[in-house]
Amino acid sequence: MPLINFAAREINYKIVYYGCGLCGKTTNIQYIHRTINPEARGKLVSIATEEERTLYFDFLPLTLGTVKGMQTRFHLYTVPGQSYYNASRKLVLQGVDGVIFVADSQITRLDENVESYLNLWDNLLAQGDDLTKLGFVIQMNKRDLTDVFSVEDLNELLNHTHSPVTESSAVTGEGVFDTLKIVCKQVIAKTG
Amino acid sequence: MAKRKGLVINDRQLDRCDDLLAKLKEVSGSSFLALISTSGQPITTASDEYHPETLSLASLAASSFAATQQLAKILDENEFTLLFHEGKGLNLHVSQVTDQVLLIVTFGRQTQVGKVRLYTQRAIEVLRQIFEGPEDDDGPEMDSDFELDAGLAIDDLFKDL
Repeated sequence: MPLINFAAREINYKIVYYGCGLCGKTTNIQYIHRTINPEARGKLVSIATEEERTLYFDFLPLTLGTVKGMQTRFHLYTVPGQSYYNASRKLVLQGVDGVIFVADSQITRLDENVESYLNLWDNLLAQGDDLTKLGFVIQMNKRDLTDVFSVEDLNELLNHTHSPVTESSAVTGEGVFDTLKIVCKQVIAKTG
Repeated sequence: MAKRKGLVINDRQLDRCDDLLAKLKEVSGSSFLALISTSGQPITTASDEYHPETLSLASLAASSFAATQQLAKILDENEFTLLFHEGKGLNLHVSQVTDQVLLIVTFGRQTQVGKVRLYTQRAIEVLRQIFEGPEDDDGPEMDSDFELDAGLAIDDLFKDL
């Protein structure tokens, strides 16, 4: 849920990158940090293991600027993807306004994608959220690799809500901002 | 599309919070105070010379506090209502105000922990009344063109990327 501070003329939205381990959530946020105008971003905070796997979350604040007199920000988070970190994922999801589900397009990662997708629904429902009231985009990542599912197949497997879908290669940055742009507009539209 | 309601702060609430934080800072001898949402977003701060990076601080403090609450559940404790970190030169005290609001207090070694806890607890009782009081029926609303203008600003921010 967004924090709307009318007195300070500020509004903050929380967007979470979700998906299985090694699907590219942190790579998305690192690309955004590297590429976007430095004046529009804050510090990238990562709580990771020594092997640079996300232990708790990555955090990157983006400033949209002043819109109708309101300083508008998007707070981007990632979750740890490995299945045994579910307690941490639940905490990061608290107060979420929009979710980018990063799907690993590789055929060998199908089970992990499905498990993560179901886990997202479980966690949102457990905290009383309803995905239809949140911003939600499915990003089909690693499209630059071979041995990947077709977009149509992945869409059928993972997109029962008929949400917007993007194709990406987070390593090269392709599709990263297209995805973020869609979810940013969604969260504003859905929260009014 | 369905509309969702989040934490909304109006002028009167923020003025009362700012006054209270300024008093708490003075009587407790703390160096920096911040009210943040439990989802990790800053609401307001009070400080003189010490200015930590508030966005990261709010995100990390809210996450740590949420993790502490889960630790309490695992340990069959009803709740841990505060989080305390002791450093060589600075201490950090995070406590719950409401379901949606946390209070961060930092203070130096020269300030007694007990004093900070006592005054913080008293301040929280007042802060609760500010946030849990009756809502203004005629409270502020978002400008009707906000969505349109925000969409244009998003296009502009991400253009050529």
